[in-house]
Amino acid sequence: MNRQLKLLEYALAGLTRRKGKNVALLLVYAFTIAALGSVLFLTDALRSEARQTLDHAPEMVVQRISAGRHELIPRSYATTIAQLPGVRQATPRVWGYYYDALVRANFTLMGVTEPETQIKDLQGQLPAADNECAVGIGIADIFGATIGDSLVLVDAHGKNRVFAISGIFSAHSALLTHDLILMPEPALRAFFNLDPTVATDIAVSIANPREITTLAKKVRYHLPDTRPISRSEILHTYDSIFNWRSGMMFAVSVAALIAFCILAWDKATGISADEKREIGILKAVGWNTGDVMAIKFWEGLILSLSAFLIGTIAAWLHVFVLGAPALTPILKGWSVLFPPFSLQPVTDPYQILVLAFLTIAPYLACTLIPAWKTAVTAPEQAMRS
Amino acid sequence: MILHPGILALLGGSLLSVLLLIKASGLGLTILLRWDGTSSSEQQLALEHKTWLISSLLNAGLGFQIVSGVLFLATVEAIHPLFVGAMCATGTLNANLVGWLVLLVKGLLFFAAALWVIFNRLDQRSEDAPLLRPKYLALLLITPLAFLDLTLQYSFFSGLHPDIITSCCGSLFSEQGQSVLSELAALPPVTAMALFFPVIAIYYVLTLCCLRSQNALLRYLLFITVIVAFFIALAAIISFISLYLYQMPSHHCPFDLLQAHYNYIGYPLYAGLFGGTLFGLLPGLAAPLQHHPSLSAHIDQLDRHWLWISLIGMTVFLAIALWPMLFAPFTLLRSG
Amino acid sequence: MWRARLYLTATLCGILTLTALLMTGQQPNDSADKQQLVAAFGLTDLALFSEARYTRHPSQADLFTAFQDSPGAIDHFPSGSLVVPIPGSRTRSITVLKGER
Repeated sequence: MNRQLKLLEYALAGLTRRKGKNVALLLVYAFTIAALGSVLFLTDALRSEARQTLDHAPEMVVQRISAGRHELIPRSYATTIAQLPGVRQATPRVWGYYYDALVRANFTLMGVTEPETQIKDLQGQLPAADNECAVGIGIADIFGATIGDSLVLVDAHGKNRVFAISGIFSAHSALLTHDLILMPEPALRAFFNLDPTVATDIAVSIANPREITTLAKKVRYHLPDTRPISRSEILHTYDSIFNWRSGMMFAVSVAALIAFCILAWDKATGISADEKREIGILKAVGWNTGDVMAIKFWEGLILSLSAFLIGTIAAWLHVFVLGAPALTPILKGWSVLFPPFSLQPVTDPYQILVLAFLTIAPYLACTLIPAWKTAVTAPEQAMRS
Repeated sequence: MILHPGILALLGGSLLSVLLLIKASGLGLTILLRWDGTSSSEQQLALEHKTWLISSLLNAGLGFQIVSGVLFLATVEAIHPLFVGAMCATGTLNANLVGWLVLLVKGLLFFAAALWVIFNRLDQRSEDAPLLRPKYLALLLITPLAFLDLTLQYSFFSGLHPDIITSCCGSLFSEQGQSVLSELAALPPVTAMALFFPVIAIYYVLTLCCLRSQNALLRYLLFITVIVAFFIALAAIISFISLYLYQMPSHHCPFDLLQAHYNYIGYPLYAGLFGGTLFGLLPGLAAPLQHHPSLSAHIDQLDRHWLWISLIGMTVFLAIALWPMLFAPFTLLRSG
Repeated sequence: MWRARLYLTATLCGILTLTALLMTGQQPNDSADKQQLVAAFGLTDLALFSEARYTRHPSQADLFTAFQDSPGAIDHFPSGSLVVPIPGSRTRSITVLKGER
């Protein structure tokens, strides 16, 4: 124990003597880890956000598929579904998209029926009259609007319609409501010029979650042109999306990791004359190869542990405090309305394990051989050079 | 499926350790062919230097193997939500049965690599390195095992097909019939207990005897007992220890223990069992080496260490296993 | 030995900070409000990418929505390359029934 402590002391002294080189290495290493860590943390937080909030999504959504495309569904389907035993309620819903030429962004418009409970994340009120709407914070921001202002949207007939903003969703819920415009269902039907006998899809509420699969089969049996989507499938989708996404970004970053390993290899191979003499002296005073390799091992461990801690903490701050500014442009794509990340700092220890394994292992592996080459230098040869 | 970060890390790590091992066995082969302990030629000196590189490569390789074993379990656990019907790691492993083979190979690799590193340490302490040949021959066996691990792992992960919502028109529902099994068959708890407790008792008696006596026979007995106890303990985990830990009479999964929901209790549990087993094997393995004069003093000294570590490991395992049996309100078997 | 002590202390501090950071997220969360919102309006997706309907509502889209215009069309939205979960998915688009004529 004491021996290891002394070796650590010696390794630290050695590292501080070659300050410039090691600090540069440490910074590059920490930066690589921070970049990889940010990707992991961000996608993991998004995934857990989706998993937590969408856990309350409708048990089943039934769409109609016509000619392979999502088609408006007759409201009579809702009656058929509601009659299946086990179904608590089948609600036809109306929602759609709206492209605003002025701000060049897509909005999601949703019809609300009768709001039952007080929504805590809403400032103001849900739309009550046909010329009112509630909007997400993204829409309020892009128009610079507040409660009481009016929103002008062009309806299906090409006419301008004015909606008074009765409520704005808080920034807290931006990840769900950022581009949302809610209006009373009749108003939305009139806006989209929808036939009263159709709906966009049907949200089905099912009492016993174990029956969802059976009911989905029954829906498919009775209404063969539909596509039921269960809640677990929604959650699956988000799991897969974010696994795939972080994997993609990871695969891209592996190049950076390899580049870093080459740098580390190079730094470890090119030892200075001073360092060589130092090892020569150590061996001359009786250190054996094993001791020198232990020193080298400690040096590697100190560097990678410090870099890992710095990098991970930096990644955490970057994602959860600063809102991942460096990753947003990559994620954003062509979205005009992109929600700010106010994510819950949920990090699975598993992510840390993955990050540690992926970054520390290659570094240690690629410094092994250079360390050995240094350690076996013969003393007289080292001192003579 | 390959693009999951955990899977990338696992495959990368395995590839890395295979590369390290290939390098090491290449060096090992030259040493096996050219080694001459009595010579003091320059070539011999270079070979001696190379032994240091080999042991350092192997140390790193072993470290990666241990971490990647843990990471494999954690990854299999983490991706189970992607499979319909999978409740935990068992579901993922059942989704592509190669997974069980990977687990087996990883277990074997853990023991093989750990034994190699420990005996290498022992050998390096002596002056004349009497274990040199068996050591490097063993190395030539570990390398293919690591390669097998890599290929099996690849075929496991590439063979996993997650059920994604985008599968058209409810094809998911029609495939429910093939959804994965979630439970393992288990021994009846009473049988498992009748096997488990006596074996553990024998283990404790033997270990304590070994601590008092130098008898080689006791160590051989301990070696056999530890192997038997290891498998019985694994069966016992599935059969009744898990039931007590989950406080549920029908939940047999040996992997749910590793979930955050159960405070990761499985990690110390398995670490105790694997550590206890590994170090319990050592005295029996080292006993026949006593006749090497250069090793016997070192073995005597290490023997006690090994026995104590084994004892501590097993006790940690046992304490975690027994704790809920003794103190939790859950009762599986009604007495009287 | 001051260097070793200093280093060990600093590393310990780093580990503790990291653990503390990781623990903050494990607390009982404030997502109840959001869950209520989701339940009230029956939301099915995150409002992450609003440029196309299959990126705005990935869970409501089907496998080929990304290729609305023609089956061979390359997806033209940048986030499409990140969103569409193609790998490993079982496509059952074509079923050939043999011997039924």
